[in-house]
Amino acid sequence: MQAQNSHALRLTLIAGALAFSLSACQTTSPTTGSGNVSYGDAKAVETVTTDLGSTDIQMISEKMTQSLIQEPLIQDLIRKRQLLMASPVKNKTSEYFDTRLITDTILAQLQKNGVRYTIEGEDMQNQVDELRRQNQSGLYDKSKSVKMGKMQGAKYRLDGAVSSIIKKTADQKDVYYKINLRLIEIETGVVEWTDEKEIRKTARR
Amino acid sequence: MSRRFLIPLGLAAAVFAVSVQAQTPPEAASQPAGPTIASKIEEQGQMRYLRVTDLRAVKRDNLLRIQAEITNTSNGNQQLYYRFKWLDRDGFSVWDDEPWKPLLVYGAQKQFINVVAPTFKATDFRLVLQSPDNSGNN
Repeated sequence: MQAQNSHALRLTLIAGALAFSLSACQTTSPTTGSGNVSYGDAKAVETVTTDLGSTDIQMISEKMTQSLIQEPLIQDLIRKRQLLMASPVKNKTSEYFDTRLITDTILAQLQKNGVRYTIEGEDMQNQVDELRRQNQSGLYDKSKSVKMGKMQGAKYRLDGAVSSIIKKTADQKDVYYKINLRLIEIETGVVEWTDEKEIRKTARR
Repeated sequence: MSRRFLIPLGLAAAVFAVSVQAQTPPEAASQPAGPTIASKIEEQGQMRYLRVTDLRAVKRDNLLRIQAEITNTSNGNQQLYYRFKWLDRDGFSVWDDEPWKPLLVYGAQKQFINVVAPTFKATDFRLVLQSPDNSGNN
């Protein structure tokens, strides 16, 4: 009996030592890698260069969403379940950036408040491909595939442009961005809402 | 857009929610105390030169509108970073984290921050403030 107890004690000690040695190899931080890469705050104010950056895109989208959501026409659009769409915002600056970053965020934030919107441009090809696949490929059960000719058109369209003025001296660079967004009734072409956001960024060299 | 709001603006105060002042007027002492500015502000550290001297909130068209007055007590320009947290009546967050926004407040000047809640669900808020000159940064 005593021999059995001492055997069990020995096994427990060995298991304990093994567990300790294994845990000594690990840290409590759930990370992997060399430590040269780290995650930052996506909402932080980014001032790396004067180029249009994440903070600018976020501020523009936020301002436009806030402005749109308090517009009676948009509140009416939500109540009547009418449709909105966003045309590509024109980039008139000398920099390259994807203006869909702005419109996609605005549409996502508006949709959280009940706005319905339709796809356009880049997304349209995938939509048409899928409609054709279901209707013309002969692969699908007719009773369980979607019908052609049922797509809905938007009543209003968001459109706009981003422009910039750049001034440089030997030791300073000043960039002024102006973003103009408009809500247009598609049938009539009437601009029902407009708002602007200005941003000034200055860098010393 | 502003013309569309003339009537709602006229009816404004009727709808609403919170109005907070820096100092309670003496005659209001017997009335039930409203929320204080401090209860709506989250400062990251103690701001040395910037003060929230007025804070108003009103609900119009089901959207919470906030106006905060920031006063710069120094003679130099001060940089401020701010963002709002949007909450429902139970204190739950109803919107994603907002981006931090930079605001330059000129020396010895007051500046308004005017915002509208990004969602109809927001009934309460917190204004989070951070200034590079906050004591907490030292």
